Amino acid sequence: MSRGRFLLRRLTMLLASLLVASFVIFGSMYLAPGSALSALTGGRALPPASMAALQQRYHLNQPFLAQYWYWLANALHGNLGTSIEWRENVTTLMGGLAWTTAGLVLYASLIICVLGIGLGVLAGLRPGWVDTSTLVGTAVTAALPSFAAAMVLVAVFAVQLGWFPALGNGAGLLDNVRHLTLPAIALAISSLAIVARVTRAAVREEAGREHVQTAVSRGIPYRDIVRRHILRNAAIPITTITGITIASLIAVDAVVETAFSLNGLGAFLVKAAQDKDLAVVQGISLVLVIAFVVVNVIVDLLYAALDPRISLGTAPA
Amino acid sequence: MTRRRISIAAAGVVAVALLASACGRSLSSADSTTGNISPTANLVATTPAGAKPVSQAVWAVYRDVNSLDPVYAFDYPENTAISLMCESLLLQNPNGGIEPGLATLTTPTPKTFVFAINPKATFWDGHPVTPADVIYSLDRQMNVSLGGFYTGVFSNVKTIAQTGQDQVTISLKAPDYWLEGELSSMAGVVIEKSYAEKEGKNYGTPAGGIMCTGAYELKSWSPSAGVVAVANPHYWRGTTPLVKQITLTGVPDNNDLTAGLETGAIQGTYDSGGIPTLDELMKNTAVKVYQGPGWATDAMIISATSGPLANVKVRQALSLALNRQSIINSVYKGAATMPKWLANPGVFGYGTSAFDRAYQASPTMTENLAEARKLIAQAGVAGQTITIGTSSEVSSLAVETGAYQQAAVAIGLKVTLKSVSAQDFINFFTDPSYRKGVDMFPTVNYGDYADPAALLDTIALAGGSQNYDNFSDPQITADLDQSRTTANPDQRAALVAKAEQRAAQTLPWIPTVDPTNVLVMSSKLTGATASFAYMFAPWANSLGGVG
Repeated sequence: MSRGRFLLRRLTMLLASLLVASFVIFGSMYLAPGSALSALTGGRALPPASMAALQQRYHLNQPFLAQYWYWLANALHGNLGTSIEWRENVTTLMGGLAWTTAGLVLYASLIICVLGIGLGVLAGLRPGWVDTSTLVGTAVTAALPSFAAAMVLVAVFAVQLGWFPALGNGAGLLDNVRHLTLPAIALAISSLAIVARVTRAAVREEAGREHVQTAVSRGIPYRDIVRRHILRNAAIPITTITGITIASLIAVDAVVETAFSLNGLGAFLVKAAQDKDLAVVQGISLVLVIAFVVVNVIVDLLYAALDPRISLGTAPA
Repeated sequence: MTRRRISIAAAGVVAVALLASACGRSLSSADSTTGNISPTANLVATTPAGAKPVSQAVWAVYRDVNSLDPVYAFDYPENTAISLMCESLLLQNPNGGIEPGLATLTTPTPKTFVFAINPKATFWDGHPVTPADVIYSLDRQMNVSLGGFYTGVFSNVKTIAQTGQDQVTISLKAPDYWLEGELSSMAGVVIEKSYAEKEGKNYGTPAGGIMCTGAYELKSWSPSAGVVAVANPHYWRGTTPLVKQITLTGVPDNNDLTAGLETGAIQGTYDSGGIPTLDELMKNTAVKVYQGPGWATDAMIISATSGPLANVKVRQALSLALNRQSIINSVYKGAATMPKWLANPGVFGYGTSAFDRAYQASPTMTENLAEARKLIAQAGVAGQTITIGTSSEVSSLAVETGAYQQAAVAIGLKVTLKSVSAQDFINFFTDPSYRKGVDMFPTVNYGDYADPAALLDTIALAGGSQNYDNFSDPQITADLDQSRTTANPDQRAALVAKAEQRAAQTLPWIPTVDPTNVLVMSSKLTGATASFAYMFAPWANSLGGVG
């Protein structure tokens, strides 16, 4: 399949997933107990006329399908609706928040790629104490949930040592990086361990193959063997696991943002879902779905680049 | 990890449903004496005024501020932000007394409230505060189609009109001295008419901003960066605050809050429902913990219209069997006192001597199991079942429910729990079908101004917005109705005190404890209001560096 056709097919699939996701989210929010009005009125008993005015403004008194159609028609025109809680346009609200989330996920991805793959390769090629300590270390951190990691990191590096701030986003690029370091580590830590372990296994397997043994026996420089025969072939499983873990960061992100009181899309989504702020939930969910799909497309493109035998749109061997 | 949340259940009154931290206390720790603050410690309404300029301070609220429109202000974050920057017609001082604010009130007749606007008062943009601004602001509060929270408090208002160059007169259908208190809180905030009309429905949102009169003006506001307020160099009272910039930021997680305060990332916060780490913060030299008069009451709402709790003797027995000290220790870490009335004694904002006298004479609600068992035997309800609505996700609610459960079992009642998720807890206040079969549920509740009647009227009067059990007591009704129309503060206080004393006997709700107002502030800062008045009046005008 040509790259153009592949991307077109993926785009169609993306639109279909967005439509399905938006309907499912809209439907589940509609069915979930509680009313947006109780968040809106803080539970205060308002006069019936006030309630009616609010219901009409947010189309809460219309049937489910009409409400969904109203939202969809607006969304197709680029208007994601108004937040009930903030009384402001959802797109504007998401604008500032998206940068925090994107920065956090990218930072964590970088840590996973550099440290995770690096440690895995090192452990795979150097049996002995490096390998053993990597295995033990990753066994512990792989089981460490991000919220627990967050508590430990804050207690040690923010409160005790004072190296990093305990919460908030910071202002300016350097300050942002400083503020996002602990959250990114918390977000990355368990995925990092999994990537390291899969990388180690892949490298170990490739290193034991016959053609590698042959190459070694023929006296080809070890560096070349590692680069051309081991890493090249191990790249496919490494890319797969890295892609999956990075995509999953998008989902786990909400936990870390909440734990560090970061103002990002994830924490905002959780809050909005609690308050039944439908337009915000829809808007953020759709952004996350898009991000998820895009990461997967990148992984697919990487497969084709890494192994010419794989044609786009088919599963790697 | 949400901490707490409020539901206003009434005109002028807020029902606080505590969504407290998931970390921390269990039922078994309810009897441990972790509190090291003496309940009789002297409370401070203010902290010493700041002496040195400070470039900026970060102030934490339990979640992001989501509206700066006083019409929609009903919860701690919004109130904290609006009271920082905006001012009302009348001003609540830290002791709860009502003073002239943007205007001075005279009442030539009980049905005529005349407001003389201070001619010096100006908005941030330099425009003077005019009668048109005042009338517009009040009309907006009363406008039902905006869906604001305070329409009900204007129920006795007949007309609002300009009656002089700097004068606005409110004519009432019936005398209503409660309106004075309301107009010193969110319902009385004055905003600029031309600005609000220009912004339309964007007023009070991050897109539209606000235009007020306070010593701090809004610089920027977004969900990602919080509310940033800067000192207003042209403040009409002629003083400029020492702290040049205050950022209000939402910190939902208690561990973050504690770490932030200890590391200096946060310079201050008002507690809105029990900080589990208060002990730790009190020992930390980076911060100072102040306790001021609280206006909130932690109570058990009675919603039973039949069954054992509909019997006053059973309510009295349950109240007598309750171990309140364990709640003070475990939920409030000592920052609460034993109740005598439904009102927290922090709300004696007027007629103080009359209130104090009556309060002194009232008994403290101490534990007395023998007396409680006697009452249960008289009522003949032993072995019957009561149902408590609660949320096990909210540790403070769970602890209090546990204490009541223990008390009920000790006097021979059976208890079933209806436990819901933290965010659904609000439905007990708003949805009658949710309350069906539920005999009681816990709350923290407060009025908009320092008057015991501000809370009691919603609980004990027929048709009161929080009168869930159709409670009615002719004496309470008569005293409250009369107090509303009584001009003399001491006489009004005496009437309200009588109603409170009676309510402490007939228990429309069961008072649990009286939380104090907890202020945690960097030890480098001083000058913030320490009483609950911070919710309704500027609290940072005297804030500054320690000299």
